[in-house]
Amino acid sequence: MCGIIGVASIGAKDAALAKITLDALKSLEYRGYDSVGMASMDSSHLEVRKAAGNVEKFERLKNPLSMKGNIFLGHTRWATHGEPNDINAHPHLDCTGEIAVIHNGTVLNFLELKQDLIAKGHRFVSDTDTEVIAHLIEHYRKLGMDNFTAFKQAIFSIQGDHAVLAIIKGDNRIFFSKKNNPLVIGLGDDMNLISSDVWSLVKVTNRTITIGDDELGYITATSVYAEKITGEKVNLTSRLIIQQIDSSATSLQGYESFMMKEIRESWGAVRDTIVGLMNDMEKLGKAVKAMDKARRILVVAAGTSYHAGLIFASRLMRTGKTVIPVIASEYENVKASGEDVVLVISQSGETMDSLLAMKSFKNSGSFVVSLTNTLGNSISYYSDIALHTRAGPEIGVAATKTFTSQVGALLLISSLMIGENLDYLKEAESTVSSSFSKSIGYAEKIGVDVSKKQSLYYLGKGLGVPMAMEGALKIKEIAYIHAEAYPAGESKHGPIALVEKDFPVIFVNTSEHVDELRNNLKEMQSRKARVYVVSAGSELRSDQEVTEIMIDINDARLAPLALAPPLQLIAYYAAKERGLNPDRPRNLAKTVTVR
Amino acid sequence: MKALILAAGKGEGLSPYSDKVQKETIRIVGKPVIQYVIEGLASVGVTEFVIVVNEKEEQVLQAVKDLNVRIETVRQRSPGISGAVQDGMEYMDDMFVLAFGDIVTPKDFYRELITTYHRSGSPVFSTVPVSTGLDTYGLVKVNQGLRVVREGSTLALAGAYVIPKKPFNDFLQYLDEVARDADYFVWTGSWVDIGYPEDLIQAVEELLKSESSRISNKASIASTAVIGKSVIVEDGATIEDFAIIKGPAYIGRNAYVGSFSLVRDFSSIEEGAIIGAYSEIAHSLLGPYSVVGSKSYITHSIIGDRTRVGASVITASYPATVKRQVSGKFGALVSPDESIPHGVVIGPSYRK
Repeated sequence: MCGIIGVASIGAKDAALAKITLDALKSLEYRGYDSVGMASMDSSHLEVRKAAGNVEKFERLKNPLSMKGNIFLGHTRWATHGEPNDINAHPHLDCTGEIAVIHNGTVLNFLELKQDLIAKGHRFVSDTDTEVIAHLIEHYRKLGMDNFTAFKQAIFSIQGDHAVLAIIKGDNRIFFSKKNNPLVIGLGDDMNLISSDVWSLVKVTNRTITIGDDELGYITATSVYAEKITGEKVNLTSRLIIQQIDSSATSLQGYESFMMKEIRESWGAVRDTIVGLMNDMEKLGKAVKAMDKARRILVVAAGTSYHAGLIFASRLMRTGKTVIPVIASEYENVKASGEDVVLVISQSGETMDSLLAMKSFKNSGSFVVSLTNTLGNSISYYSDIALHTRAGPEIGVAATKTFTSQVGALLLISSLMIGENLDYLKEAESTVSSSFSKSIGYAEKIGVDVSKKQSLYYLGKGLGVPMAMEGALKIKEIAYIHAEAYPAGESKHGPIALVEKDFPVIFVNTSEHVDELRNNLKEMQSRKARVYVVSAGSELRSDQEVTEIMIDINDARLAPLALAPPLQLIAYYAAKERGLNPDRPRNLAKTVTVR
Repeated sequence: MKALILAAGKGEGLSPYSDKVQKETIRIVGKPVIQYVIEGLASVGVTEFVIVVNEKEEQVLQAVKDLNVRIETVRQRSPGISGAVQDGMEYMDDMFVLAFGDIVTPKDFYRELITTYHRSGSPVFSTVPVSTGLDTYGLVKVNQGLRVVREGSTLALAGAYVIPKKPFNDFLQYLDEVARDADYFVWTGSWVDIGYPEDLIQAVEELLKSESSRISNKASIASTAVIGKSVIVEDGATIEDFAIIKGPAYIGRNAYVGSFSLVRDFSSIEEGAIIGAYSEIAHSLLGPYSVVGSKSYITHSIIGDRTRVGASVITASYPATVKRQVSGKFGALVSPDESIPHGVVIGPSYRK
């Protein structure tokens, strides 16, 4: 995900237009914040400034308000190809420096295009897929095509979802193309804009036109034009909407909450993560081999990542491998050696506890494999092999799609180590998405029910235990309800003393040892607990009085992926019912960079 | 952008009430249901409306006549929901809003519809989580895009869409086809699809939940009457001595609440309705110009326009047969212009 903005004007220019572009970028920052860039152009010059970091840092380092021109492009990036640095930031230029391109999306065939263009004499400066688009336009212009035709040919050459903006020196148009990534036009006074979202425009204009998929065209300061890829002209004016958006209420970009948005992105994130890891089999193979040979694997993580790590550890320990899950802040309890491999898991790659644990183990000679969700972070930097989930930016403080992606990645890695057939992972995406729509109604009901309680238990068996821990963590984090997770069998050894009439107990059922789990459920029922069940694979309840979310799965190993959405949604609706903002729980930060 | 509003359904879940009245025109908390839909869409920039109607066209026109937007009606010619959408779609642009006229939900619902459209540029489905009456809703499943299904999901179609104009034979099939490339949003606020009596009762509750007190100074309220929290009293209403309005409750224009009567907990007394002395009204909707005689108890019930309920009529609300909503209670659904004799007990699940 990235944010893009283009502005063409015949009135405001230079600093005033730069300010509009910069303000739009601030509003688009939720779409990515690891590097930022702007291009400005008038009839005689085209200039690009860019930097790694967020918009505020870009503004401080590059003084964009001194840029000159009446056409501006702006981009805020979330890296997928090439780590975040000044060179990989957008806009990207062609060889002549006359064409600037910004891009939200992926060019799937960029390697072959790049090789082909290099063979034709083009010089590339970045590691990004985007740069090929600028060179393609340059290539087609050299063949004698006019600017729009060359732009169209470039778009026809690339594969993958995208929203692209391009400017060419001497041409007062901003060319655009859209396929499955958002793009909307804003009609201003003496000025037109085009952006990833409508909220970045509303400070300037409330008249907007939405671009459809497989449509491309251009805007100037005074006109807009679009056609379908088939060449058929699009009637843009019939789509004109007068927005009635209060520009003060735009921080959520129209999403009710980022947490819901991110839960809904979790199946795509799992798919992209698994595909992304498998596309670099060489690196993944090295990581697997290192862990295979290790005397012990130390899984180092904190919070939600630790729960994902427990799933990984359990799966391997069942095969006889020695895997020790280590809570990052407690690393001093474990002495590591050169025979051990450390697997450190962290969404941000900047978690201080994990970083310290990892450095200490590395100093003891351990080989380090990391799994993080951003490119170019500290943990990746210090690890011997850096693997990545591809969940995209996560704004909600509570981890949702990043957890599900970690689970997907760790299922893949553990299956490779165990030597399992990977076919079951083809259903990873549909398992998560079907679970979402199957469970949401009941999850809301359970969430609303438990929101009235002070305290509850999550009980599970096998891989249900780490899932129960994650469910309990989620509801603590965002709904502020005291929740504890136990292995169901362990509940008899103490915790059951607290259970009285209507005490809520949520069973997390991965369909391992269902009979024993059902006995535990009856024990709770006989103490008049209010029992709920979240099941993947097979049903647990014996009477209809119990609310059970039942998710069908085609392979038992997919159970953690199936259980993640309902557990997250229960916490979400409990928080909503309590009138809390699930995105911003008190006392918590997204990335914990202190000890 | 134009919107197509559907208001030509038979409304079988509200039979026999709906034989006389188009359900979209039922007044709840001072407004016909369809007004909530049109006002919601108008608030997010939709300016032109086409409403598909049946032979009850006049009722629909009456229900929207006070709205300050461009509205046309079109008579349904082809049968069923497929026919209704087909007949109306002729008047639409290549992308348009399709909205069911029987949904009661806050304006933000429609805001989310339009903003989701802006974000994606693709067709948009509104969805809402449901846990009761699953077989009464169209459902969607998320699996490589959306799929319209009858089971295997708890995510219901929420009755508003942005869809392209294209010829089709069957509406649900068409929706399923559009769904594959559609974006969607999950609505988490209040939402009631008016299909069954319990939905009307629920709609009163949802609407009054979000209201704060508003007492007209053109109402006549006796000095000994008691008005509680979250009560709306409109112009010309009369509340007699020792009556108690324990909110949340709505007392419409020129409505009358007799001495010692108690109106409580999510009741909506529409324009010109009359409640005699010593009566109790709870969780109920009293239609315009209906009359409830003295010493009656009306709970979880809907009384139609101009209907006369005699004195000492008792409604029983459980154990009731309900399809939806969790309260599980339903007393009586009495159609407009009917009468209930003095001194009877009706309900639960009574329909006339």
